[in-house]
Amino acid sequence: MDVRYINPFIQAACQVFHTMLGTRIRRKSLLLKQSDCPTYDVTAVVGLSGEATGSVVLSVSRPVAFRVVEILLGYETTEINADVADAVGELANMIAGAAKTQLQNFQLSLGLPNVVVGRNHSLFFPTTVRPICVVFECDWGPLAIEAGLATSQTESPSCREDASQQEAALASPPVKS
Amino acid sequence: MKVLLVDDSGTMRTIQKRMFAKLGVPDEAISEAADGQQALQLFESNHFDLVLTDWNMPNMDGLTLLKEIRKRNEKVPVIMITTEAERARVVSAISAGVSDYLVKPFSPDALEAKLRRWVPAGVM
Repeated sequence: MDVRYINPFIQAACQVFHTMLGTRIRRKSLLLKQSDCPTYDVTAVVGLSGEATGSVVLSVSRPVAFRVVEILLGYETTEINADVADAVGELANMIAGAAKTQLQNFQLSLGLPNVVVGRNHSLFFPTTVRPICVVFECDWGPLAIEAGLATSQTESPSCREDASQQEAALASPPVKS
Repeated sequence: MKVLLVDDSGTMRTIQKRMFAKLGVPDEAISEAADGQQALQLFESNHFDLVLTDWNMPNMDGLTLLKEIRKRNEKVPVIMITTEAERARVVSAISAGVSDYLVKPFSPDALEAKLRRWVPAGVM
């Protein structure tokens, strides 16, 4: 995936966490997704379709998930229940919706969020794209955004050969987000 | 005051109910629907003073619901919750007779300010 396409998702995540939850999230690392990419306890997936296809994933650790419920729904929990899943799914939906605004060229449509609980799962993106994973931290714990968008460009051989350049770009110091 | 909340996310409905409670509207005065079809069924068999609906929902989206409501009732205030991406389409909601809209993500202050415009002062 073209590294430029991750920025709308980063900005959207920062905006959603700040506006809805009143907290700042700080970017820790950015990498092309490998099998050891951090996946936390509650993971919401929103499918994207249109001139590009793929998914955006929000994965949060338990402390983050519990704090989200406390702020949005007004009660404390230490169990991952249906409210936790729904709240994290709604955050993912808002992140995808906000990012979509900056990706208007793709005329994206959003699917409804699906939520997976637990770490023992695999997420598959379009085979022609290597998703980008962004790890954040906030005062409550870690979380991550993953995004993979397959465009007509990413399917061309020349763009697949650009992977090493993207690795180099991702290795650069994180920008302020 | 009777309120109809329409959103496929229980989280969003709870956020809105908590704000209505703050404004003096009790839970008993609020009906909930998870999509436009459910909402229309409730609307046809009940009186509501305010409808708050999401745009992007399964089965029947918010814009279609708005048009169906306007066929039945031209005056009831309908507030549409949209995303940034849908902001450009708000003009179609305005043409269909939406009363107001709120873009998410929104802060608690933004939600409160929006609802205060439509909740009569007497119930607060």
